[in-house]
Amino acid sequence: MERPDRKKKPPTLRKARTFYLFVAPWVLGFIGLTVFPLGYAFWLSLTDSDGLSPRTHFVGFQNYIDIFHDPLTLSSLAKTGMFALVTVPLSILAGLLLAVMVNQPIRARGLYRALIYLPAVVPPVGAALTFRLIFDRDAGAANGILSTFGANPITWLVDPNARYVLYALVLWGCGGSMIISLAGLQDIPRELLEAAQVDGASYWQSFTRITIPLLSPVILFQVITGMIGSLQSFAPLLLSSGSLSGAGAVPQGNYLYMIHVFAQYFSASRFGYASAMLWLLFAVILLVTLLIIKVSARTVFYTVEPEGAK
Amino acid sequence: MTRTYRWALSLVLLAVVLVMISPILWLVSSSLKSSAEMASFPPTWWPSQPRFANYTEAITSVNFLGAAQNSLTIAFISTTLTTLSSAWVGFGFARLTAPGKKQLFVVLLATMMLPGIVTLVPTYLIFAKLHMVNTYWPWVAWGLGGSAFLIFLFRQFFAGIPREMEEAAIIDGCGYVGIFWRIFLPQSWPVIAASVILSFTHAWGDFVGPAMFLSQDSTTLAVAMATGYVNDKGLPLNNLVAAGAVMYVLPVLILFLFMQRRFVSGFSTSGIK
Repeated sequence: MERPDRKKKPPTLRKARTFYLFVAPWVLGFIGLTVFPLGYAFWLSLTDSDGLSPRTHFVGFQNYIDIFHDPLTLSSLAKTGMFALVTVPLSILAGLLLAVMVNQPIRARGLYRALIYLPAVVPPVGAALTFRLIFDRDAGAANGILSTFGANPITWLVDPNARYVLYALVLWGCGGSMIISLAGLQDIPRELLEAAQVDGASYWQSFTRITIPLLSPVILFQVITGMIGSLQSFAPLLLSSGSLSGAGAVPQGNYLYMIHVFAQYFSASRFGYASAMLWLLFAVILLVTLLIIKVSARTVFYTVEPEGAK
Repeated sequence: MTRTYRWALSLVLLAVVLVMISPILWLVSSSLKSSAEMASFPPTWWPSQPRFANYTEAITSVNFLGAAQNSLTIAFISTTLTTLSSAWVGFGFARLTAPGKKQLFVVLLATMMLPGIVTLVPTYLIFAKLHMVNTYWPWVAWGLGGSAFLIFLFRQFFAGIPREMEEAAIIDGCGYVGIFWRIFLPQSWPVIAASVILSFTHAWGDFVGPAMFLSQDSTTLAVAMATGYVNDKGLPLNNLVAAGAVMYVLPVLILFLFMQRRFVSGFSTSGIK
């Protein structure tokens, strides 16, 4: 049986080489544009680099120690955590509620879906400018509405109200969450819900016992991507100055972590310190993601094995 | 489901739609107001005399056309390269085998959960060292590297194509590059369409990338809109801001309204299935 063996071996080897030829662009990109930059940032975080002077000194973990003695950095981290804890659950809940509603057999539901989803495709800069105009003190619609009820105008875009504008801006895009939940709802086999109905289950019972468990992987996915997205959000920058070095114009209540990172890099030129801040955020995001996956392991219900386990 | 229930539901949804759409209506209304009307309080809901000159002024008072051209160039570069590269890599994961493939695929999926903005800043520092800041080379590099999510989409699509197709091609003497280019890529137009739309809207909307990598003269619309339109005292000219924002947002909204289904299929398969 020498012949089939000899005939079989060269093609697999060639196939393997062809495989590497095909995945090479992504592997090279991943190494060059993700792994290497992160490594470079880690090296910088151990120095006192300011990005300009040719001489930098190795300072060990001093930058990381400094972070924990910098009240501004710590408070911005706390604000970012707060921002994520408020906006992520609210967006997912609103999206889920809307998904259930536009999944009902009513007239023109396609139109409802499209129009509710529309804000989610508006580019971030466009959305931020729009909200700046709505919440402008004199020319804004928000104060226009207040004045028709005889209420005094509110200065929305400064502390302490600016945070509500930020929340509203994020929630305006909850149509994105609706579309993802809707796709999950449409994947639920109709027989299951019909069988429950035949067995006398109420709508609420079949929603909590069938729909929610079957939807849990979709919700988990949204929780994870939502947390990752909001922990590195810099949206308040777009709501105020619209420039990476304009951290000074951001109201204190909206002074998120990433904005402080930009300020350290592009205004203060503290490259070493800013890189340490980036690495701390990276670690926090990784930890939060792992924690969510760990905690959810018991509550999330998979009908099929998740991808990659195959 | 009863009739009253249906009516109530439609009414609630109608209210939601109004809330969701009203910011865009306000943007359009503001873009047509004169600066005097803009300054009066309380604000008018719709301009008494629509002032279309705001649009021409929004184009001439900043380098709108130049920025639009830069936006289009960057969007074109990243859309074409990202789509082609992602299809190429996705084909590899779908149709070829080699030791280490499984592990690589897990890494690919894991990269979707990496914080993109966190890696972007050090990438900027490296490109600055290489003197590639203020050029389009970073976008070429990102495009060639492909996008993990799009690679995944292409991989799922290619994995569903029957094996007979490629076997027939191999018997006819066609190599894998030929199989990819002549047989698989032409069949994958639904994924290509989703990929083009997603990469285009992403590139058009991206703010941090151009804000970091490009100078004020060669920047994109996203950055120009975020900082442009101020009077000589540095205060924003809100009616021009609105007019500029309408023109900036419009291409994406038109693309969405005409290609709705592709948008939705692209987003809703986001790594769940």
